[in-house]
Amino acid sequence: MRKPPAWRGPVLVLVALAAIFAVAPRLYSNESVLFTMMTFMALAQGLNLLYGFTGYLPFGYVGFFGTGAYATSLLVTFTSLPVIAAVLLGGLAAVVVGLILGPLFRLSGPYFSIANLAASQIIYNVVANEALKPITGGPYGIKIEHVYAPTASYVTMLAILLAATALAAYFRRSRFGLGLRAMHQDPISASLAGVDIVRERLIAWLASAAIAGLAGGAYAWNLSVFYPEAVFTLQISVFAIVFALFGGVGTVIGPLLGAALLYAFYAGIGVSAPQYFELLYGLLIVLLVLFLPNGLASLLTRRKVDVL
Amino acid sequence: MRRHLQRAWTACAAGLLASGLALSAAAAPAHAATAPSEIKIGTLYASSGAFAVPSQSQLQGLKYWAAGVNKTGGVFVKAFDKKIPVKIVAYDDQSSTATATTLYSQLVTQDHVNILMADFGSVLTSVAIPIAAEHHMLLIDPTGSGANFFTRKTNYLADISIPTSAVWPRVLGDFILAHKIKRVAIIYDSNDFDASQATTLKATLEKGGVKPVYYHGVPTSESNYTVLIHTIAASHPDAVIEFGYALNDIAFFHALSGSGLHFNMTFSIFPGQLLALLEKNVGTKALAYTFTYPVPPLVVYNKTNLGPNTAPFVKEWTAATKSAPNALDTAGFNTGLIMQHMLGTAPTFTQLAFHQALIDMSGKTTTLLGEFKINENGAQLGEQLPVAQVVPEGKGLKFVIVYPPNKATGKAIYPAPAH
Repeated sequence: MRKPPAWRGPVLVLVALAAIFAVAPRLYSNESVLFTMMTFMALAQGLNLLYGFTGYLPFGYVGFFGTGAYATSLLVTFTSLPVIAAVLLGGLAAVVVGLILGPLFRLSGPYFSIANLAASQIIYNVVANEALKPITGGPYGIKIEHVYAPTASYVTMLAILLAATALAAYFRRSRFGLGLRAMHQDPISASLAGVDIVRERLIAWLASAAIAGLAGGAYAWNLSVFYPEAVFTLQISVFAIVFALFGGVGTVIGPLLGAALLYAFYAGIGVSAPQYFELLYGLLIVLLVLFLPNGLASLLTRRKVDVL
Repeated sequence: MRRHLQRAWTACAAGLLASGLALSAAAAPAHAATAPSEIKIGTLYASSGAFAVPSQSQLQGLKYWAAGVNKTGGVFVKAFDKKIPVKIVAYDDQSSTATATTLYSQLVTQDHVNILMADFGSVLTSVAIPIAAEHHMLLIDPTGSGANFFTRKTNYLADISIPTSAVWPRVLGDFILAHKIKRVAIIYDSNDFDASQATTLKATLEKGGVKPVYYHGVPTSESNYTVLIHTIAASHPDAVIEFGYALNDIAFFHALSGSGLHFNMTFSIFPGQLLALLEKNVGTKALAYTFTYPVPPLVVYNKTNLGPNTAPFVKEWTAATKSAPNALDTAGFNTGLIMQHMLGTAPTFTQLAFHQALIDMSGKTTTLLGEFKINENGAQLGEQLPVAQVVPEGKGLKFVIVYPPNKATGKAIYPAPAH
């Protein structure tokens, strides 16, 4: 039997994602829920690029998201750039912050995670500092409601989600991704085998930062009036991590499924049975940890299904 | 391999579609031209997180108002010339702006509420503003007082039950200057509500020739003020002004009473709004001689022209709920009253008519929160807050309004005695 081309699976997933989120607003008019779902899917996928392929867990992932949100908002406020360009530059700003934080890779395990968390809080406190009020708005927040465009920001977030998924597919299928996974399992052996550990890890880190920065930019565009805590809240990091783990990291569809299902569940309970929210959500996560520690994707991998 | 890929794709698509379907709900019909069977007021509350306590009080006040009008057959709607029962649709945002965004949208796009009302405070109100404007709905904003909201003319925002935060400390600043207090320390949370008050107070004091000896912002999540209080003490202030939310105030007073330090004047916001909560958490002794903004019902209005005066309201509320109303209960109730008047005077059942009704009643209406006065940007300019001091009375505490002189019920005890 002829082996199907390696790109077919990822392309199918990309087409499915695009089709679903293109059609969904016609079926369900609360576009805000769909937008937020895409945001968390993109973030879970962005986090997957780093954690799923290198094992470095960035607790402060929200720092890149907030950086992108603020960079985009400031560019919209102080320049005449089109909003799309501002969003792209928001992603670039997150990459620059990622480069500055590159030395964190001297740490590993929980030390890296905690240092990363501290870095995100530093960025937050700088942005929210009242001394920067003329620039960032400080604690007063920022307003870009003159460019508020929910449909355009929705399409932009979809494009970012597709880009994140394409990157994850590249990581999953390419020689580069193979190097990352080898490094994850045994960095010394990987290094001896010719994997440039520092370079590859930095690329994964910057790609992950770029996705968060882009998502932050599109999120800011959609929100248009917000305070620093809205884009730097640790809840964003926690959700991205939980969603990615729920679906299964190191795969392409795992974080997508995890974020989509868990966020739908989250939104569903929030509307139908808010009084049971903590109980049901907590129970679900406990069950996941007990019975599916490798995420939903492991249900497929156990059956020898290629989960992309 | 091909089959495996197909199965993976099918699983992925099924999962994504399932999640999409899980969100789907039957869409309600669009606004009918005829009278609706009920007036749906959509709002959010926080059952957990930083804003849980005030948010739930605000909702309780609204529910109390709704129960009252429904007992009489509902609220009179001028556009339909009849009374229609009120239904409150409330979702839990858990103090999260991301969750609040989707839930406000849910109220508008799925529940098709007739009136959209924001949750407590500026942070949870901020995300509702563009959603309301996008859907051409008037956002009834009970307690979101961020100065940033009210910078341009709008038909879709009205601050109902709280003055815009930048004007809150004007009387406090005058009080400090009048008492010739020269060394003032200001510590504030880095959020719009608190920081705008800090900015206004600093400007007022500097205009009067008093430069704060300490002026510092802390994160809204700050929960340990021990080191900060010692740092403040090192600047030898006579007055320490702490602008924070209720949980910050509790942490501040815990740290202050544990530090053994004493200042001649201590001011914080929430003793005047949620005294029972603070007393329960930090004790009566820690709050003695603290200065605060006394918010209705602590400030009494006996000549309202809309709704009950303060005294009968407090009496009826206490009888119904077995506890005295706090400021946010009152704010929620007052928001209901204003909406009631709005519906009772708007000639058509449209959002623009609702807004115009609010503008028309501005400056002519006094409720148990004081004068209702909004400008074309939606900012609340009435309902000014005096300064009060919490003084011991028996085993408890009582409020004495100390400034301005025309509203004072007693004299300030300054310097505050050590206890």
